[in-house]
Amino acid sequence: MMLDTLAKCLEKSTADHVEMRHHRRQTLNISIRDGKMDELNNGAIEGVCCRAMVKGSWGFSSTTSLEEKNIVKALKDATSLAKASKPKKKRLASLADVKPAKDNYTTMMKRDPRKADKEELVHLVRDTDAIVRGFSKRIVSDSVVFSVIDDDLSFASSEGARITQRIVRCIGRVSAVAREKGNLTSAIESIGEQSGLELFEKTPLTQVGKVAAERADKLAAVPVAPGGLFPVIIENKIVGLLAHEAVGHCAEADLVHGGSFMAGKVGKKVASNIVTLVDDGHYPSGLGTMKYDDEGTPTEKTVVIEKGVVKGFLHSRETAHEFKVHATGNARAWDFEFDPIIRMRNTYIETGDHSIDELADGIKEGYFLKGGLGGQADFTGEFMFGTQEAVKIKNGRLEESLRGVTISGNAFEVLKNVDAIGKDFIMRAGMCGKEQINYVGMGGSSLRTRVLLGGVTK
Amino acid sequence: MSLQASTRFALKTCEKLGADEAEAYAQKTRIAEVVLERGEIQSERVKMQQGVGIRLVKKKGLGFAFSSDLSKSNVETTCHNALSLAKTAIPNPEWISLPTTQKLPKAPAGIFDQKVAALSGNEVLSLAMRAYGAAKKQDKRAEIDDGKFSAVTSEIAVSNSHGIDATQKGTLLTGFLVCVAKEKGEVSSMAFEYDISRSMEFSPEKIGKYAAEKAAASLRPKTTESFVGQVVLDPDTATDILLFPLIFSVNADNVQRSRSAWTDKLGKKIAVPQLTVTDNGLLPNGIGSATFDAEGVPCQKTSIITKGVLKGFLHNSFTANKEKRKSTGNARRDNYNTLPVVFASNLIVEPGKKKLDDIISIVDKGMIVRRFSGNVRPESGEFSGIAKQASYIEKGEIRHPLKETMISGNAFNALTNIITIGSETRPTFMNSYLPPILIDKVNIVSK
Repeated sequence: MMLDTLAKCLEKSTADHVEMRHHRRQTLNISIRDGKMDELNNGAIEGVCCRAMVKGSWGFSSTTSLEEKNIVKALKDATSLAKASKPKKKRLASLADVKPAKDNYTTMMKRDPRKADKEELVHLVRDTDAIVRGFSKRIVSDSVVFSVIDDDLSFASSEGARITQRIVRCIGRVSAVAREKGNLTSAIESIGEQSGLELFEKTPLTQVGKVAAERADKLAAVPVAPGGLFPVIIENKIVGLLAHEAVGHCAEADLVHGGSFMAGKVGKKVASNIVTLVDDGHYPSGLGTMKYDDEGTPTEKTVVIEKGVVKGFLHSRETAHEFKVHATGNARAWDFEFDPIIRMRNTYIETGDHSIDELADGIKEGYFLKGGLGGQADFTGEFMFGTQEAVKIKNGRLEESLRGVTISGNAFEVLKNVDAIGKDFIMRAGMCGKEQINYVGMGGSSLRTRVLLGGVTK
Repeated sequence: MSLQASTRFALKTCEKLGADEAEAYAQKTRIAEVVLERGEIQSERVKMQQGVGIRLVKKKGLGFAFSSDLSKSNVETTCHNALSLAKTAIPNPEWISLPTTQKLPKAPAGIFDQKVAALSGNEVLSLAMRAYGAAKKQDKRAEIDDGKFSAVTSEIAVSNSHGIDATQKGTLLTGFLVCVAKEKGEVSSMAFEYDISRSMEFSPEKIGKYAAEKAAASLRPKTTESFVGQVVLDPDTATDILLFPLIFSVNADNVQRSRSAWTDKLGKKIAVPQLTVTDNGLLPNGIGSATFDAEGVPCQKTSIITKGVLKGFLHNSFTANKEKRKSTGNARRDNYNTLPVVFASNLIVEPGKKKLDDIISIVDKGMIVRRFSGNVRPESGEFSGIAKQASYIEKGEIRHPLKETMISGNAFNALTNIITIGSETRPTFMNSYLPPILIDKVNIVSK
C-alpha cells in the first residue's frame, strides 16, 4: 500500500505542514484513422510528490522512484526549497482549516475498463470509423480515438489525512474532414465522462461519429458566418464553454486576487436574474468530479452566481484563508509533477424551461451556434471560444447553416443579456489549460444572449 | 540502467519475444522550473522525468507500450505489453518498416549548454526575478499576473531492429511573463512576452521590459468601426495565424490523408514571391535542432516554399515509406510516452528588409496585433479571434489601442496577400523563426 509508505515517510518530516501524493496513471489509447489502425497504446506513469510548508513558504519536489529512501529525499528537498525560497517571498501562506479525512473513493462504474477485452474496444473504434467514412463521398478523412485514463491517487498529510481515490475517465473523440471542389472543412465531436465503459450504452461512439460526419459534410460547401454583434442561441453542448470561459476563470480566487473582473463583486449583480452558475465537484459522472481535491479537501457544489448575484469564489486552502471563507475543494494537480492550483471541476449554468423554438422566437436576425472549439479568458472578463456551425435565424425561424467562427464578448454584458434559458441540460467533457492541463466538466442548457461573431466583414 | 542500456535491453527482449520489428525510445529530462503567480513565486521545483516507449510490430500490427519505470523487470513487462498490443491491433496494410540506419551528420553547434544544464531552481528563480524587476522598472503600472521560467535538459536514446542505436542531449531555456497594467481602476488586457534559447544567451530583462511596455500601451483603448484592412502581425501572432496552418499543410501525413489544403499543390504558386520558407533541423543554436529525429533518422534542411512556390513536404519514416522516399527527419515526440508524429524542426521564414516602424509607416488603414486569442482551422485556413494588445493604425501612424476588436480571414488567402515581410526575426514556441508580417484584406470586426 502506497498510503502506508507515504505515512511512514511523513514521520521523517521536519516541516510545519506536509502533503504527500502518490499517483499512478494508466492510459489506454486506441486510434483508427481513415480505416487504418494508427495506435494501440497502453502504459503507465507513476511517482510521488511532496509539498512542504515552512513558516508560510511552500517547497515542492517529485520523484518517479517509489523507494522509501528516495521519497524521503524528495521530502527533504521540498523542505529545504521551502526554507531557501522564503526570503524571496512577500506573500506567505496560511491554510484554512479542513478536517483531515480518512477515506477512499472509486468512480462509480458498471464496466471497469481494466477488465475489458481490448479487442472489443478496438472494434468499437473500427465500427465508428467505418460509419464516419461511409457517411458521404465528401468525407475524405477521419480519426476516431478512444482513451481511458485510469488514476490511482493516494494522499497523506502531516495533519493526518489518509485518502485513496481511483478515478476512471473514458473519452471518445472523432474528427471528420470533408472536401467539396477543393474546399476543405473539418468537424470534431467528443464524448467523455468519469465512468466505466457503460458510457457508450447511453451515447454510442458511432452516434458521436455521425454528428461529426454530418457537420463536416454539411459545411463543406458553405461560407463563413458574418462578423458583428448578433443575438444568438448558444447550443447546450457548448454553453458550458461560456460558463467556463466567461465566468469560471475569473471566479478562481487566485485570479480574483490578481484583480479579475469578479474582484469585489460578492453580493453584486453581474448577470440577469435567470442565471445561476455553479462549479460542482460532485456532479455524477462529471469529468472533473473528485471526492477530495489534491489538498485533501472534500469537494462541494460551489455556487458562484445565484440568480444573477455573485455568491462566492473557487478556493484552495490558501486562498480560502486569505478570503476568510471555507476551502471549496478546487485545488487540483495534473499529475505528481505538479503542485495543486485552483481549477474548476464541473462548471454549469442551471437549466431553464424553454424549447429551442421558443428561444429562436425572440430573434429577428441572429444565429444558433453549435459545436465548440478552444476558448480563453482575460482578467477583464473578455472571453472567446470557437464554434463550428452557425445556423441562421430569421424572424424566429432556423434557416441555412454557415461555418462557425470564434465568438467573443465581455462576461458582464453577455450574462446580463441572457434573457431565456432552454430545458435541454447536458454535461460535457472538457480540457482546460492553466499552467497545467486538467479534465473538467462543462454544462448547461441552450440559452439566448448577444455576442460578437468574429466573421466576415461586409 | 543508463538510457542506452535500457533501449538496447528492450530491443533484445522484443527480439526474443518474436517481434518482426521493434524500437525502443527512452528519454530522461531534468526540469528546473519556477512558476510565478500574482507576481509571486508560486513554486520552484526540480523535476526529473524518465521513461521508455516501445514500438513493436508483429504481422503489420503495431503495439506501443510505455512506462516511467526503467528497471529491468519493468522494461521486460513493457515489452510483453507491446507484443500483446501488437497482436490485438488490426494489421495496418500501409506499414512498411521502421527506419534503417544512415550516416548521422555532425551535431549542430550550440544545442547543449552545460551552464543551462547546471542551473539550480534558485538560479532559475533569479532569472524570473530579473524579468519581474525589469517589468516594474519599465512601468510602475505594470503588474505580473503569471509566468514561468524553465531550464530543461533532455537526453534521449533510440535503438531499433535495423541497427539504429543513438543518443543525444540538448538544453532549452524558456521564460514568459503575462503582465497587466493598472491605472485609476482600469485593468489593461493581458500582455504576453517570452524568450527561448538553447544557451544562457537569454534576456529576462527584455521579457520584463516588453511585457510591461505592451500592457501599458494597451491602456485606455477605444473601439473602431468594422472594416476590411491591413494588419501587422508580430512574430508570435503570425506563427499562430499563418504558420500553424502552414506547418499542418506541409505535414506529409495530412497531405497523404487529403487533410491538407496543399495536397495537389506541389510545384504550384501558393504565396507571394517574397515568401521563402525552409525547415532546417541542423540550424546552429536552433531551438528545434538535433543530430537525429525522434526515430533516429538524420535531421536535414528541407525547402518548403521558395519564392511563393510550394517545394516540399515534411516526412517521418512512415509517411516517407508510403511514397518510397527518404524521411526528411521530421519525426517528433513530445515525450517517451507518445508515438512519433511529423512536425517542423526549425521553420525559417526568410526575412525581408523593413524594420517594424517602416512597416507601420506604409499601413494606410489597419492595425497591429501583438497577441491573438482565437481559433485557427488548419484544414480550411480559417482564423477568427480577439486581437489583443492591438492598436489602430491610420496613414502610417499608430493612433490608439483597440478594445473589443476581432480579426478574421483565411490563412491561405493571407499568404497571397502578404504586403511585406519584416527584417527582425525571432524564435517562437512553434519551433519557428520569423519576422513581423504585414497582410492585407483582413476582416476587422467590432460591435
